[in-house]
Amino acid sequence: MPSLDLNTVDSDWAWRPFEPDAQHPWTPALAAHLYRRAGFAPSPAELDAALKSRPGDLVAAMFERSEPVDFEAQMDELGRATSATGDTSKLPAWWCYRLLATPDPLREKATLFWHGHFATSAAKVTDPELMLAHFRILRSHALGDFNALAQQMARDPAMLLWLDSATNRKAHPNENFARELMELFCLGEGNYSETDIRELARCFTGWEVRNKAFRFNRFQHDAGTKSFLGHSGECTGEQGVDVVLAQSACPEFLVRKLIRYYLCDEPQPPDDLIAPLAEQLRDDDLHVANVLRRILSSNLFFSAHSVARQVRSPVDLVVGLLRALDATTNNYRLAEGLERLGQRLFFPPNVKGWDGGRAWINSSTLIARANLIRQLLFAEETRFHKGSLSQLFASSDVNDGAEVIEWLQRRLLAVRLPETVATQLADGIDRGDGDREHRLRTAVHLLATQPEFQLG
Amino acid sequence: MISRRDLLKAVPAALAFGATMPRSLLHAAEAAAADHDANVLVVVQLSGGNDGLNTVVPYRDPIYRATRPTLAIAASDILEIDQGLGFHPAARGFADLLEAGRLAIVQGVGYDQPNRSHFESMDIWHTCQRKHDARHTGWLGRYLDTNARETRDAPAIHLGGEQQPLALRAEIVRTPTIRSLDEFHLQGSDGASREMVRDLTGTTRPGGGDLLDFVQSTTTTALDVSERFSASEAARQPAPGYPATSLGQKLGTIARLITSGLGTRVYYVEVDGFDTHAQQAGAHEALLRQVGDAVARFVTSMAEHQLGGRVLVMCFSEFGRRVAENASEGTDHGAAAPMFLAGDSVKPGLIGNHPSLTDLIEGDLKHHTDFRQVYAAILERWLRVPAAPLLHGEYRPIDVLRTGPTA
Repeated sequence: MPSLDLNTVDSDWAWRPFEPDAQHPWTPALAAHLYRRAGFAPSPAELDAALKSRPGDLVAAMFERSEPVDFEAQMDELGRATSATGDTSKLPAWWCYRLLATPDPLREKATLFWHGHFATSAAKVTDPELMLAHFRILRSHALGDFNALAQQMARDPAMLLWLDSATNRKAHPNENFARELMELFCLGEGNYSETDIRELARCFTGWEVRNKAFRFNRFQHDAGTKSFLGHSGECTGEQGVDVVLAQSACPEFLVRKLIRYYLCDEPQPPDDLIAPLAEQLRDDDLHVANVLRRILSSNLFFSAHSVARQVRSPVDLVVGLLRALDATTNNYRLAEGLERLGQRLFFPPNVKGWDGGRAWINSSTLIARANLIRQLLFAEETRFHKGSLSQLFASSDVNDGAEVIEWLQRRLLAVRLPETVATQLADGIDRGDGDREHRLRTAVHLLATQPEFQLG
Repeated sequence: MISRRDLLKAVPAALAFGATMPRSLLHAAEAAAADHDANVLVVVQLSGGNDGLNTVVPYRDPIYRATRPTLAIAASDILEIDQGLGFHPAARGFADLLEAGRLAIVQGVGYDQPNRSHFESMDIWHTCQRKHDARHTGWLGRYLDTNARETRDAPAIHLGGEQQPLALRAEIVRTPTIRSLDEFHLQGSDGASREMVRDLTGTTRPGGGDLLDFVQSTTTTALDVSERFSASEAARQPAPGYPATSLGQKLGTIARLITSGLGTRVYYVEVDGFDTHAQQAGAHEALLRQVGDAVARFVTSMAEHQLGGRVLVMCFSEFGRRVAENASEGTDHGAAAPMFLAGDSVKPGLIGNHPSLTDLIEGDLKHHTDFRQVYAAILERWLRVPAAPLLHGEYRPIDVLRTGPTA
C-alpha cells in the first residue's frame, strides 16, 4: 500500500490535472470514483460512456449540465405543495425525491455541502416556507459566489431565527450569529478573538425578522464605531460580513472544508497543499466553481489519497446505491431511514452540521444502514430500471453471479471485496434459495453489509 | 427483566473489541471476568452550555438581580441549599437528591483560558487537550483502552441518536452507540443468514488500511452487541416509574441494563438544548426539570435495587453562561459553571465556593476548580485507576467521594 501521508505530497503535482498514461490508466474504478464524489454514483449507462471521455472533459461536462426547466418547475411546484401543509417533516422526502431524480447531481451534492456548512435546522425554524427559501439560496449559489451566499445567509429569516437573531437590540447585542459567522461559516475557530465577536455583534443590531421577512430597524442599530479583525468604523451588518470575508483565513477555511467533503476525510492536508487553492479562491473573489473543478480533475483526487479515503455519508450510501441501480422508491421511507442513519435532511444536529467521517459510523448506524438498505431493496414500491433487479441486469447483459458482483463492485465500491467474499456472494446468486429476483436482492443486501460498502 | 443467564445464553461470540482481538481470547476473558459488581459511571452531558447561575442561584446577591433583570429567579421560588445559594425551582429532583444526601455540587468548574465555542470547548472537556494538540482519543476512551479490555460485555455504551461523543473515542475499544434497543438488531434475517453476515464481514482484509479496519471492527462490535440484546425482549420494555422525557427513558433503559447484570462500566447520555441565547426562561426551566427528575429517579431506583453504592452519575456542560443577560431575554456563552455528582457514594452538599459575581473574566465567572480534578476523583476513587496518564497531567482529585467504595 502506498504512503498516505499527505505531508510528502508535492503540491504542484497534487493540483495539476490528472492525465492518464500507461502507468496511471483511466479505469472504470477511477471514473466511478469521480461520479461518486462529484455526485452520487454513476447510473448504469454513465460508466461505460465515461471511459470514452477524458477525465477533465467529464468534469467540465458536469459543470455545464443543469436541471431542465420543466424538471426545476416540477420541483418548485412540489416544494410549494409540501410547504403548504405547514409541516416541516415532509421536507426531507421532497429533497430525497430530487436527490434520486435530478439530472444534475453535481449541484445537488454541492447544495448538501452548503446545507451542512450553514447548518440550519427546521427543528427550530419550524416554518417549511422559510426552510425552502433558505434551501433555494443554498442551491442557487452552491457552485457560485460565496460572498453572495454569506450575505444572503446573514439576512435569511430561517438563519436569523435559528441563531436567535430575530431581535437584536443595540443595548444588549446577541452574540450568537456573529460568533458562528466567524467560527463556523467563514474563518474557523482561532481566527478571531472574543472581542471581535462582541464588536461584530454590534454591527447586526437592528436586524430583525418581521412577518417572515428580514427587516432593518434603524432605531435599534448601534451606529457607533466598532473595532474588530483589524478594522475600525461605523460598519453596518453588510459591511461586517464583508470585513469577515476579506480575512485571509476565509479562503483557507473554505478550501479545507471543500477538500474534506470532496477529496478525503483524513488526514488533514498540510498548509502547503491548501495554499495554491486558497490563493486561487481569493483571486476568484470567493467564487467556488473553479476551485471545485480543479479539485475534481486533479492528480490528488484520482490517487490513493482520495479513493476510499472517505466514510460514506448516509445520503451518499443510499442515494448512491439507488441511483446506481436506476431505482425509484418511497421517498418518505427513504427520508425516515436517513434520519435513523444520522442524516435527517433539513434537520442538521446543530449549527456545526454533520461532523462526517468516522462520526457517521457506530453500532446503531451500521445496523440501521444494513436494515434500511434491506427495507428499500425488498419494498414493494421500489422499482429498478422501472421493473425488477433481474430486468436491470438482463438489460445490461449481466448474467451469472460473478458478473453481477463485478458489475456492482465497479460502480459501488471504492475498495474491492476479498475474493472469498465476492465468490460467496456470487454463489448465493447462482445457487441460493428462492427465485432469482430474491437471490439478487439478497446479494445486494449482503454486499451492503460489508465494511467496503461504507467507504466512498 | 433479563436475567444474566438469559444474556449469557444469547451470546455466541460477545464482546466489543471486534476484529482487533481473536474470538478465542474473548471467550477466555468472558470466563475470567466477574465484572457485574464493579462500579458504574453514568455521564449525563448537558449540551449547549448550561446556565449555572440560574441552576445554583446566588439569589441574595444584588448583582445577580441587577445583571439579570428578566431572568433572575425570585427569592421566594428558590429551593434553599445553603450559604445564600438555592436551586432553580424546576431542579426539584436535584434538591430532593441533596436532601437525601445523594448529591454533590462542585462549584466553579472550568479551565484556564476558557474557549467559548461550543465545539471547541466540548472537545476540550472530552479529550482534556487543546486544539493545537493531536486529539485522537477521549478521556473515557483512554480509560477503556487501558483498563476495560478484560470485561465480558461492551465496556461502555453510548445511548442516544447523536453522534458518539469524542470522550468515548479509543484506539482499540469500540464503544457501541445504541439509538434504541428496539431498532438494534439486524432485520429480516434468520440465524443462518446472520451467521453469514458475521462470517463475511469478519473475513480478514489484509492491507485494507486504517479506515477499513475501523469500519470492520465497528461492524463486528455492532453485530456482537446486538445479538446480545436481541435475545432479551425484557430489556426493551419501558422502564416503570421513569419520567416520559427523553433523558428519563434513557436512564430507565440504563437502569434495566445494570439490574440485569450487564458488566458495562460506563454509560453515556446527552441532553441537548442548553444553548439559551433567547427566551431562556421557559426552555431552561423545562431542561432543569427533565434532568433533575430523571437523575433523581435513576439514583433513587438504583438504591431501591441495593445498587446505590455502585452507581455514580456525573452531569457536566461545556461551559456556563454570561453573567449579564442579553437583549433577547437569553444569555450568551460564558465560562465557569457547577458540575453535579449523584449517587450514594458522594459527599453531599456544596464543594468549593460560588464564583464571585464581580471578579469576572470578560463578563464571565472565573473557575477555581479544573474539570480534570473532578475526572481525577472519578478515575482514581471510583473507577480505581491512575488518573494522570489518562488526563495527560497531574490533577489533584477533589474530595467528593466517600472513601472505600467497592472496587
